[in-house]
Amino acid sequence: MENIGDSVIRKEALEKVTGKAKYTHDERTKGMFYAKKVISPYAHAKMTAKDTSEARKVKGVRAVITGENLPLIGEEVRDRPPIATDKVRYHGEVVALVVADTPEVAKRAANLIHVSYQPLPTVQSPSHAIEANAPLVHENVAEYEKDEGIEPIPKSNISNHTKIRKGDIEKGWRESEVTVDESFSFSPSDHTAMETRSAKAEIKANGSVVIDTSSQAPFMVKKLMNDYFGIEVGKVIVNTPLVGGGYGGKASVQQEILAYIASKAVGGRQVEVFYSREEDMITAPCHIGLDAKVKLGATKEGTLKVAEIVYLFDGGAYSDKAIHLSRAGAVDCTGPYKIDHVKCDSYSVYTNHPYPAPYRGFSHSEVLFAFERTMDILAKKLHIDPLQLREKNAILPGHTTPTQVRLNRSTIGHVPKCIEKVKKLINWDEGELVEVNDRIVRAKGVSCLWKTSTIPTDSTSGAILTFNEDGTVNLMSGVVEIGTATKTVLAQMVADRLRIDVRDVHVRMKVDTQTTPEHWKTVASRGTFMAGRAALAAADDALTQLKKIASTILRARVDDLDVGNGRVFLREEPSVGLEFKDIAYGYTYPNGNAIGGQIIGRGNYILRHLTELDPETGKGNPGPEWSVGAQAIEVEFDRRDYTYKMLRAASVIDVGKVLNEKSARGQVTGAMSMGLAFGGRETFVFDEQARVLNPRLRTYRPIHYGEHPEYIVEFVETPHIDAPYGARGAGEQGLLGMPAALGNALSTAVGVPLRQLPLTPELIWRTKEGIGE
Amino acid sequence: MIPFDFDYYKPSSVEEAVRLFESLRQQGKQPMYFSGGTEIITFGRLDYLYTNAVIDIKGISKCQMMTFKGENLYLGAAVSLSEIEEANLFPLLTKTSSEVADHTARTKVTLGGNICGKIFYREAVLPFLVSESEVVIASREGEETRPILDVFQKSLQLEEGECLVQLVTNKKMIEAANISIKRRRQWDTGYPVITVVGIKVDGQLRVAISGLCSFPFRAKEMEPFLNDTKRPLEERVSLAIRHVPAEVLHDSEASSDYRMFVLKNTLLDVFEGLEMEEVR
Repeated sequence: MENIGDSVIRKEALEKVTGKAKYTHDERTKGMFYAKKVISPYAHAKMTAKDTSEARKVKGVRAVITGENLPLIGEEVRDRPPIATDKVRYHGEVVALVVADTPEVAKRAANLIHVSYQPLPTVQSPSHAIEANAPLVHENVAEYEKDEGIEPIPKSNISNHTKIRKGDIEKGWRESEVTVDESFSFSPSDHTAMETRSAKAEIKANGSVVIDTSSQAPFMVKKLMNDYFGIEVGKVIVNTPLVGGGYGGKASVQQEILAYIASKAVGGRQVEVFYSREEDMITAPCHIGLDAKVKLGATKEGTLKVAEIVYLFDGGAYSDKAIHLSRAGAVDCTGPYKIDHVKCDSYSVYTNHPYPAPYRGFSHSEVLFAFERTMDILAKKLHIDPLQLREKNAILPGHTTPTQVRLNRSTIGHVPKCIEKVKKLINWDEGELVEVNDRIVRAKGVSCLWKTSTIPTDSTSGAILTFNEDGTVNLMSGVVEIGTATKTVLAQMVADRLRIDVRDVHVRMKVDTQTTPEHWKTVASRGTFMAGRAALAAADDALTQLKKIASTILRARVDDLDVGNGRVFLREEPSVGLEFKDIAYGYTYPNGNAIGGQIIGRGNYILRHLTELDPETGKGNPGPEWSVGAQAIEVEFDRRDYTYKMLRAASVIDVGKVLNEKSARGQVTGAMSMGLAFGGRETFVFDEQARVLNPRLRTYRPIHYGEHPEYIVEFVETPHIDAPYGARGAGEQGLLGMPAALGNALSTAVGVPLRQLPLTPELIWRTKEGIGE
Repeated sequence: MIPFDFDYYKPSSVEEAVRLFESLRQQGKQPMYFSGGTEIITFGRLDYLYTNAVIDIKGISKCQMMTFKGENLYLGAAVSLSEIEEANLFPLLTKTSSEVADHTARTKVTLGGNICGKIFYREAVLPFLVSESEVVIASREGEETRPILDVFQKSLQLEEGECLVQLVTNKKMIEAANISIKRRRQWDTGYPVITVVGIKVDGQLRVAISGLCSFPFRAKEMEPFLNDTKRPLEERVSLAIRHVPAEVLHDSEASSDYRMFVLKNTLLDVFEGLEMEEVR
């Protein structure tokens, strides 16, 4: 009976492959109302009038909400009206909600709302936002209510500034013999989860607010409903069934707020807010854009000495998660290298773009695109092989991170081993550039990656195990099953610890914040670590209880007992023992006397020794560990047409321990494809008024079957001692280096440095031919 | 979700369909011929399109025809693009239409729907433009067969109530050396940056293009330059692309200058491809 490492089929697999799995929007109740949004066609405009009179006349309309008298909301800065009232700041922003008996009526009425707009000049990019004469997205940014440590710069578009100051920059430059100074940029894009967002809200007679939502953060919804609207936390009940992909996008809280407002407007009746694909793309938070400047200094032999970096994150119209994203980008502002002198200024900047949610990797693929492209440019200038340059400078135990955390053998994975493995997988020694004929070349590019999770220092996770009469177990964890199979991996851990078959661990998929123990958010590749520790603690708790009752019945000391195959038995004489089923629900003596009761195991976990960052130097311990990896891609490039095919992509990720082989490969492969789609095709295209020209899947196209390269995934296992079985995060890592590796391969193929994403043939043509936009 | 209600009719003859259209119009309705329905669904939900009565032509046998009669191939307007691919009676059409949308959509999208649709690429028309096919159009006065080059000006010029029934193509054109090339913004899915269809008839190249301007067209103004064999190929192409009939598109798929770059290379590829075809 092997549990750990096996490719156990996910517990919800049959529901999913038969199409029977239920997601938030699938459940409708009788008497439910439906809300339809009216969204702004402008990215920046004053609203001079909202005429709702025609809409209100439509039969079946229950309420028309235009947003007055609502609190400002937002996670770190309260800068966002849930429904815009006097001006709009992005294309797609909600300006009104119609609540009606049916979705059709709501939509028909929404079409009859006439809003008068007076367009304002727009902020088109983070670099534009910080220009002296740039229009202000928020006129009075300093006056917003905000969390401690957030310092918006008054009368500017800057909502926060994170500083990293490590070592002595001047000294670093003095010691550098070769320097490079590079700029990079890309626009916001989308997550494009298969399931679009939706939420339902109902206000019960006793004041309880029940919310069903397609969210990665149901417990955050509970907390924010309290923060924003003053509802007692115990009276907020959030239900989340299976989620059809999140990728970070569903860690932001938006649809729940609208649903609550809509329900309140109709006396607490249940109202659903459902997002069309277009609304899911532009109204809901998107994937962040970035303008970056990276300067590196090294010795002639290629020893990195100094990094001086400016990141301008495209925070869009509202801060929400943008500040945290810009902070995470500062924490791991370099690649996984030993650099003694690091200066980074990371800003979250307002623009008139849709505002960002987390995106798989939480700023790491974005920052790594800039940093790892610069590494390649430095390698070329040094005439050193780019992989060798990375290997030479790889960060190791004993070195310190940009936030000055001294790493040990547990807290960092093994970068050199990953490099060594990927080098073989991609056949690096064949050469970076191979000429096929006078038009076609094959080129390879590499990138290293690392990531820690900058989640709040007090993030917690809990698990409960209840036993059934037959000795099997039910597992309840606050992890949302977003498609990562995490709940199945948790079941594997519980089965392993209780020494039972994984089939005997039943997993509750749905999260209900009233009865499910909290898991902070299902983000940041923290499910197996935090929920895993909690689940193991719960299993240990259950074992203690099982042994205790068995000890009474068997008249033996607890420490003489052992567990296996669903039994508690005497270590010395295994034939003397009791089956779980005989004690899990209490034990009944032959004469009818009974003792014990249902066994309920409980466990929780809170991260240890994390600290906030010092505001002047960034010094602090931001996360529990750094996972690392190395990635490569080979492309076939047509030098006449500037088109390319992706041939092979390889990832070597140090996951600490493979817990479920196929799931781990699936996670890494899926993340790689997402990184290549972000690197090669996905972007919002904005017009001169900052409107999104392609807010639908006809024109915004994720990667499709037939377009993928061959994926090669291998693992390194350097245990993270604190984590269950030593496992590190594996959900995001496969994405992180792919855009940079693709950029490096294509830059080699074309012979000019490429500095923007996505890497479309048109961009490459424009760069190579020196043709402006 | 389509926010409006509409009546559904499924006539079994062309005459009935046309009559129905007229009577619905007289009742003050806004009827629309309906074939695959993909645009009615996808544009209806976006409020780009409205109708309160649809006339489904899929029940009309003439509209479902896929047959050679004598020297001509008759293709019905209600034949789906995937059926055209499977039957493969017109290889150039197969090649061109199989690049439209995706397979799931092509089991619904019909030949007539693609040609008469609002989405302006209308790539399925390109093989007929170079083949100089004929179209059978039904109206209150009955059916009429007309040259496609007369009727297709940016889109099929139909009077209200007229219905595309069939496209008729001569065997000689179907057998001519041909090529169809679609270039996209990136990789293998999406609308065209440019689609070029070419055939060689009596030693002369005929070309039709979609994606370059806001409508597909037969490149009549460009062809004389392309066929000017006295000049070197590069020069012929360079001269030809100065005679694009309208403003070049500049949108989220591609900028106008990049489209011109792609056009030039694609025309070179058309020559290269067709010379290979001639060997066959």
